[in-house]
Amino acid sequence: MNPVNRACRAAASITFILTLLAVSGAAANADNSQVAQIKTVSGQAEIVRNGARVAARIGDPLYEKDTIDTGGDGSIGITFIDNTVMSSGPNSEIVLEDYKFNSSDFKGSMLTDMNRGTVSMISGDIARSSPGAMKVKTPTAILGVRGTRFVIEVKDNR
Amino acid sequence: MHRIALVLALLTLASCSSRQSLFVVLPNPDGSSGAVTIEDGQKSVLLDHPYAAGEVRSGVAAPVQVDQTQVQQIFGNALAAQPVLPSHFVLYFEKDSDTLTPASALQYQAVFTDIKRRQVYEVEVIGHTDTLGNPPHNQQLSMSRAVMIRDRLVRDGISPKSISVAGRGQLDLAVKTADQVAEPRNRRVEITVR
Repeated sequence: MNPVNRACRAAASITFILTLLAVSGAAANADNSQVAQIKTVSGQAEIVRNGARVAARIGDPLYEKDTIDTGGDGSIGITFIDNTVMSSGPNSEIVLEDYKFNSSDFKGSMLTDMNRGTVSMISGDIARSSPGAMKVKTPTAILGVRGTRFVIEVKDNR
Repeated sequence: MHRIALVLALLTLASCSSRQSLFVVLPNPDGSSGAVTIEDGQKSVLLDHPYAAGEVRSGVAAPVQVDQTQVQQIFGNALAAQPVLPSHFVLYFEKDSDTLTPASALQYQAVFTDIKRRQVYEVEVIGHTDTLGNPPHNQQLSMSRAVMIRDRLVRDGISPKSISVAGRGQLDLAVKTADQVAEPRNRRVEITVR
């Protein structure tokens, strides 16, 4: 085997092992089922998952604990599996802190951390399922949602 | 020196008392609205009509006046990024069959059109039956109704990996009835498109 071939083999093996690690890492998440899907993206919008930062792409799934981060020209729109619809404007940071939904009885709970920026929300099955099931936390207050459409701005005071 | 200290103190005070967050309830398409409560740790402010707004300054929540123009100025980009809203459809079936009623066969086209207008989509199809027949049979029947719709959508070009199916048998009646009651409104699939 010539050296080039050997290097290629080695690279392939390393890629394979890294892929295995990535897959097992994802599976090791406490709860890795999809909670939402990205529907619209404009400008700079990123998802932070397990410390890694990736560009947000239309059609990509989102999971509990994901952070949505938009830049100065960015915006993003997502729809959750309980039909909650959420979209945010530029310079926004939102964490999908807690999300539980049972698609058989349409009950669940969700807590979203709105750290900075602007967000528009239209509640879905979770807010309907019981009072107090849907909450949004900002650095200075907690919003209890009984429905349906509302917007929040959090100033960046860092 | 004192003057600088005063300016600094005033600046600090100004930033303390500037708005930290703003909350606005928006109207539903029919003009009604839901409600939200702002909890600042001490008290709670209820916002329960269209354009009802509250803000937090120095950690204290209070109602505030906001008009439509201000909402558009502050939230225009967020609102423009809003996805197409989810849609819900109900299609009905002939008795003990996975054949659509004539009316629902026509309505199928509306489901298909709704899916196609979305750039990306997820479709949930959940089958149901009335209480005629036994539960195991109805479980199977509800599933074959859902599968029939999925197969039709796939034949029409909808991506199979974006469609989920489930059968709920006679567990979730749209119209509550006694056992062994033929009820056309219970022989259905519920379809969510988002």
